[in-house]
Amino acid sequence: MIGILKGMATTMKHALDGKTFTVKYPETAPEVSPRFRGVHKFSQERCIWCRQCENVCPNDTIQIVMDDQRNGEQYNLHIGQCIYCRLCEEVCPVDAILLTQNFEFTADTKDEFIYNKEQLKNVPWYKGIDPLNSRNPDRGAWIGEGDGEVDYQ
Amino acid sequence: MSVELPDTTGVVEQSPEEIADLLGDLAIGRDDHLNAPGFVIKPDTVVETLRRLRDDAGFDHLSCVTAQEYEDRYESIYHLTKYADRTQEVSIVVPADKEQPVSQSANEVFRTADWHEREAYDLVGIEYDEHPDHRRILLPETWQGHPLGLDYDQDQPQVVPLREHANPLLEDQEAEGDSETMFLNIGPHHPATHGVLHIKTVLDGEQVVDLEPDIGYLHRCEEQMCQNGTYRYQIMPYPDRWDYISAGLLNEWAYARVAEDMADIEVPEYAQVIRTMGAELCRMAAHFLALGTFALDIYGDFTALFMYSIRDRERVQNILEDLTGQRLMFNYFRLGGVVWDLPEPREEFFEKTRDFLDELPTALEEYHDMMTSNEILQLRTVDTGVLPPEVAKSYGATGPVARGSGIDYDLRRDDPYGYYENLDWDVVTEDGCDNFSRLLVRMREVEQSARIVEQCVDLLEDWPEDERTIQSNVPRTIKPDDDTEIYRAVEGAKGELGIYMRADGTDKPARFKIRSPCFSNLQTLPEMSNGEYVPDAIASLGSLDIVLGEVDR
Amino acid sequence: MAVPLQGEVMLPERIADLLGLGGIAGEVVGGLIGALIVGNVMLAMTGVAGPWAKRKITAAFTDRIAVDRIGPFGLLIIVADSVRLLSKELIIPEGADRPSYDLAPIILPASALLGFSVIPMGSGIQLADPEAGLALVFAFASIASVALVTGGYASNNKYSLMGGLRAVAQNIAYEIPLIVTAMSVVVFAGSLQMSTIVAEQTSTLISIAGVSIPAWYAFVNPFAFVLFLVANMAEIGRNPFDIPEAPTEIVAGYQTEYSSVYFVLFYLGEFLHVFLGGAIMATIFLGGPAGPVLPGFVWFVIKIWAFFLFTQWCRSAIPRVRIDQLIEIGWKGMLVLSFANLVLTAIIVGVIA
Repeated sequence: MIGILKGMATTMKHALDGKTFTVKYPETAPEVSPRFRGVHKFSQERCIWCRQCENVCPNDTIQIVMDDQRNGEQYNLHIGQCIYCRLCEEVCPVDAILLTQNFEFTADTKDEFIYNKEQLKNVPWYKGIDPLNSRNPDRGAWIGEGDGEVDYQ
Repeated sequence: MSVELPDTTGVVEQSPEEIADLLGDLAIGRDDHLNAPGFVIKPDTVVETLRRLRDDAGFDHLSCVTAQEYEDRYESIYHLTKYADRTQEVSIVVPADKEQPVSQSANEVFRTADWHEREAYDLVGIEYDEHPDHRRILLPETWQGHPLGLDYDQDQPQVVPLREHANPLLEDQEAEGDSETMFLNIGPHHPATHGVLHIKTVLDGEQVVDLEPDIGYLHRCEEQMCQNGTYRYQIMPYPDRWDYISAGLLNEWAYARVAEDMADIEVPEYAQVIRTMGAELCRMAAHFLALGTFALDIYGDFTALFMYSIRDRERVQNILEDLTGQRLMFNYFRLGGVVWDLPEPREEFFEKTRDFLDELPTALEEYHDMMTSNEILQLRTVDTGVLPPEVAKSYGATGPVARGSGIDYDLRRDDPYGYYENLDWDVVTEDGCDNFSRLLVRMREVEQSARIVEQCVDLLEDWPEDERTIQSNVPRTIKPDDDTEIYRAVEGAKGELGIYMRADGTDKPARFKIRSPCFSNLQTLPEMSNGEYVPDAIASLGSLDIVLGEVDR
Repeated sequence: MAVPLQGEVMLPERIADLLGLGGIAGEVVGGLIGALIVGNVMLAMTGVAGPWAKRKITAAFTDRIAVDRIGPFGLLIIVADSVRLLSKELIIPEGADRPSYDLAPIILPASALLGFSVIPMGSGIQLADPEAGLALVFAFASIASVALVTGGYASNNKYSLMGGLRAVAQNIAYEIPLIVTAMSVVVFAGSLQMSTIVAEQTSTLISIAGVSIPAWYAFVNPFAFVLFLVANMAEIGRNPFDIPEAPTEIVAGYQTEYSSVYFVLFYLGEFLHVFLGGAIMATIFLGGPAGPVLPGFVWFVIKIWAFFLFTQWCRSAIPRVRIDQLIEIGWKGMLVLSFANLVLTAIIVGVIA
């Protein structure tokens, strides 16, 4: 009986202290860690079309189309299929693809989640956080260039 | 090492030669794996070999059964180890004929072989003689072919005529001569199945007469996906998705450990401490959710406990988000270390973690007030869902389920990895063998995890700045030697999470087999529930804390 | 003997007087309008409780915010939810036993509403005051079991069947202690008539420093009050006795297969039963509509909402017992205790009075 009363006292305490753990979501945008990995942002100006991101992507989310002179034509990324592992950003030598903190994306159909390079470019920063800064300190450590066999694909 | 060692008196360490002597003529060859001596035996001597190893050498834990197809043969590998001494491992390799792959079932010696062999049959196509229940387990009964076989046509359409797919329960079914019982499908859509699990239940009134879990609804070909990924990068994101209940880093560690052992990669000490801290944070998050969902099963849908545990889990996730950049699918480990150092400013991170740890005792006190000291909860959970230690061992139960049955078995201590052996913590066991013990084990493990995290934070804070190496030098492409085989396990949130990998000289594994703790633990459900009431069966299922993503993979 | 509070004039008669009708026409019209008023007040309270208050209360216990989007304090969610629930498709399972499947959701709220007919709600609101009022209200409340077992059986679903059976087993096990405990009150009051029971509780038990504590039976016999409270929780099927529904065990029990309007009716019925349980508690243990300053009806509403809050509180903190444990508590514990209580009460009343 005492145990039951203790449990009831606990919940009543929570009811009376007036504190809430949840927030009113769209009004109060949640704090997101600077390292958070959200929707990608792509910069065609920086991209050198090395296709490393396409190669490393674990589930073929990135699709690059080039013409016969190896000039980039299309850069498509299915943000609905992406698993947000950030490997593309990790291998990119020129920071052409970045994961913003933006986690809010909606669409009516799955197809609309296939972003082309223009759409990827227009992805807004979340609360103005530029992820590069927060991730910069360790950039040297990302790309483990070892003494073993290096294959440039 | 400050951790108390299990009582290993009576456990004799055998050298490979001694095991070879013990097996005598049974072994027809050697096939050594990286950290276990391997013995090749004939397919019709499986029971004899395993029994001799179990009874005479103490190999009482059939951790995993791996099946695979080679160009010229099929192979089942029984990974045996000891509950008393996890470092002792032996692999029993059973080749089977390419044309007619038949092998003897080990079900007689280890009951856990039941499901493992069914999975082997289902995915690879080896048939097991004398198996009591030789059916598919993950794929539907109507599936054509065995997807992990070499000649399997991936593009083959799996068209099933309606008559074969028709609901077998459409007609009124009545067991002959026994009209006292009622068949009931619990799941696949049921509030208490924690995912998509289907339990075929036979009831006598409110009591469970027979119960059979039917799994495979969440089979996502995780093993095959890993076989198609490169060692260096592409496999690491996937372990997060096996046990997706915040146990991501623990799962990643399973892969990191097996791949690092295989490719002989050293991990810097600093990275090991970060890994240990992250992994224990994950364990806390996973246990919080386990407590919350268990409360749901016992209290009903409007219990405040679930929200309280979610609240505490959110706190852990906030810390993990700062550390890894994601709340669930971390992808934080890399072979040879971790991807990021602690977030800057470090003091803020330490403070946040310490704040959480400081508030944890209050939160746990609340849980104890609401759960463990509650008389009705005790009434409901004490002496229900009893799993005796011998049965648990036979089913290969690990993790909190085994420890709730008094089995002193924890890979973090028994097969040390990471930084655990340099830290001060205890392995939690409870002797009650019932639902209440499993609940207590989880609650006390949260405390132990907090201890570990606290020590890691202290260590990291004082770590000299120029020694903060987070990754060792790892080549961009890893190509282990052809035919390197390894089975390695770590202590996941639910138990022993093992991975078997075989390399074939390319940069992708030729066989990737996951030993999921939930898979083995779920097998014990009939043992725990038969003869009990329906609510107790539900509570037992909750106390097993399974994640269907890991069961079905 | 104290005089009944509201005198002898019932609500229907007053309405008939107001309309200037007499005889049979006055009785019929007055009765109908009176019933309409009381029924609608109760249904409105249920409407507030189900989609809004329950969410807000649960949220308070679990540190959340809950509905706050539509209207002040999110109150208009009631409208939105009604539209949503009523516009859903009514799915009738194959093989459902049609007339009984349709009847069950009507019987359940109806039985609870009938119960309110004899409850004195203060401010002169009482539809009828028969001499066997207390027996009548329990009889009405028990009709609910019929609805539950009918709905459970007619749904052609095993979970529903189990829920229905559990409901019946539970109601039988707890109805007897419930009524036997109520009888101890009857022994005190010397009458089954609701107005008399209420009137009996207006006298002063003791006066402490000028504050007089009324002789509510909850104060006179707290043991009976606790017994009745527990039995009442079981009777209305709330935690820790929400076994007939037990969502994690048998999905939703007897209402598993009900959707749309039928679901709403079941839902209404359940909340009405919670309120009826609160009304009975208030009437026989908490002095009915009695209370200082505020009008009687307001006090009556406060008391039944307090009971509703209590059920929600229990829901947030108390685990559900198992069905066999529940039956055991009912037959072996509560029954014995309630009879002991009755006998003791009888002895005390016999010796003192």
